[in-house]
Amino acid sequence: MITLRGLTKRYGDKAAVSDLSLEIAPGKVTGFLGPNGAGKSTTMRMILGLDRPTAGEALIGGRPYAALPRPLTEVGALLDAKAVHPGRSARAHLTAMARSNGIPVRRVDEVLETVGLTAVAGRRAGSFSLGMGQRLGIAGALLGDPRVLMFDEPVNGLDPDGVLWVRRLMRSLAAEGRTVFVSSHLMSEMQLTADQLVVIGKGRLLADAPVTEVIAASSRNAVRIRTPRPGELAARLAAEPMPLQVTRSDAGELAGDGERADERAGELIVTGAPIERIGMICHEIGVPLYELSPQEASLEEAYMELTGTSVEYGAGAPQKAGV
Amino acid sequence: MANLTGLRARGDHNGDRENDGDRGGNGGAHGRGGGAVGGGLPGAVAAEWTKLWSLRSTWWALFAAFGVMGLMSAILATSTASNNTNAITTDDQGVVQVSGIAVGATDLVQFVLIALAILMITGEYATGSIRTTLQWVPLRDRMLAAKAAVTAAVMLPAGVALGVLGTAVAEPLLGRWGRLSAGDAVADVLAVGVYLALTCVFILGVGTVLRSTAGALTTAFLLLMAVPMLLVNSSVKALGYVADALPSTAGRHFMAGEGGPYPPAVGLLILAAWAVASLALGTVVLRRRDA
Repeated sequence: MITLRGLTKRYGDKAAVSDLSLEIAPGKVTGFLGPNGAGKSTTMRMILGLDRPTAGEALIGGRPYAALPRPLTEVGALLDAKAVHPGRSARAHLTAMARSNGIPVRRVDEVLETVGLTAVAGRRAGSFSLGMGQRLGIAGALLGDPRVLMFDEPVNGLDPDGVLWVRRLMRSLAAEGRTVFVSSHLMSEMQLTADQLVVIGKGRLLADAPVTEVIAASSRNAVRIRTPRPGELAARLAAEPMPLQVTRSDAGELAGDGERADERAGELIVTGAPIERIGMICHEIGVPLYELSPQEASLEEAYMELTGTSVEYGAGAPQKAGV
Repeated sequence: MANLTGLRARGDHNGDRENDGDRGGNGGAHGRGGGAVGGGLPGAVAAEWTKLWSLRSTWWALFAAFGVMGLMSAILATSTASNNTNAITTDDQGVVQVSGIAVGATDLVQFVLIALAILMITGEYATGSIRTTLQWVPLRDRMLAAKAAVTAAVMLPAGVALGVLGTAVAEPLLGRWGRLSAGDAVADVLAVGVYLALTCVFILGVGTVLRSTAGALTTAFLLLMAVPMLLVNSSVKALGYVADALPSTAGRHFMAGEGGPYPPAVGLLILAAWAVASLALGTVVLRRRDA
């Protein structure tokens, strides 16, 4: 369990993290999302006691990281795969790590085996590819058999096999009852891996909810209708006493040619109305349906909507959602 | 699902586990390895020791230190002998203590070991591995104390061995101009070890404050070599007192034995005070600064 209470980090008068309060629960993979510069890495560094919070606190099992007598046996973290001395072999790095926390040195070979680095254990870490570096970092995180694991962008530089491996690793760590806190900018990856999402933007908490809820809450969830009489249906829907929006996605094609329009059917996208109600309306007015289907927003779309106004270093163009 | 983590299966795992027993629930993880407790300062020292010897630069630096000691002692010994035998009588030094040659050579040899001590901390800042180190040992004072302990534990015997080497090289070259008494030689050689250990710990603290290899090396050179030289040659007497209080001058008085402005023991105390002060400052800076 990781607990953040009013966690704040200011650099001068610029807040990198503002009053972040949340709990990261065990037994789940919690995805940590936010645009570049949103404060993800700063938050993780504060959890590990590397950066001092300006205000608030970050606790692990109720205590600050620095108060843990053998921190590696309670928290395993991979923040920066490059934060290994390039002149030291993978095995020597992990051996020193084990000794620092009184972890049996035989664990070193076990975790090297787990991450698939046994064959290159004697090679200098500086000669490792980014993907091998990530694996070494993950080996270090697993070394102390900790109950809390934190990974900052763990799939960076991994090949598709490696990505799949990391995904299964996260899932199995969570299934063992551990707390797994993973930051990523890859929404699709989080949609597959995470149970819970914590979204921050400009250092502020934007969302802390199960993945399914974040997606469901997106205003971009819509209903798609294909019908030969789109005009009639659209007019009827517009009369409904609810704030729904109807879009004719095929207006151009239909113009002018009534007969063909009937055959080809028109398409409507409706947001803000439950699919059941739309079905009833169609039945009431006797409009035939070729298709009535829910259009679920992707996590990426939900995320864009959440963070749209909090992109720190945007590309200039407004983050406007197209339909 | 396959045991992907390679970790021991834990039947008692469930979502509530972290909420209830805090420490009590740790038995499974901590009890492994025949009751390995560990961690703490001994763990931190063991980790620093492993880290130091797993870098090639450590071996090269020690190798270089012995090379420089052999060379410097040979030069100093032959020049002493030739000064005594040449036509110019003003430079005659007469019969010298053989181990004193090793002490003299330490002035230069120290910089090789100082570079090694500096790299123990600045090398980690340069590579970013300081963040890894602090993840292992989050207490700043413990982390620095471990590095200081390892520095001293390596430099003391290395210094003694260097003193022995310098003495052994100088002895045949000095010939009849050398005087070798077991008691003095042992004292000198031990003094070289103690001097190098304390100076390297002092400079480790400087490196911790400055974080930069180049900055720390420059500071070491200025503070240990250039500044004392300038001050000693100054005509202002007060500056001479300042020079006597600097770590390298204090160290030299400590190694040279009786005959200085203060007894050797005072020189040792002054040097030790510098080492303690720099470690204290390093700890304060580490605590305040983000890693």
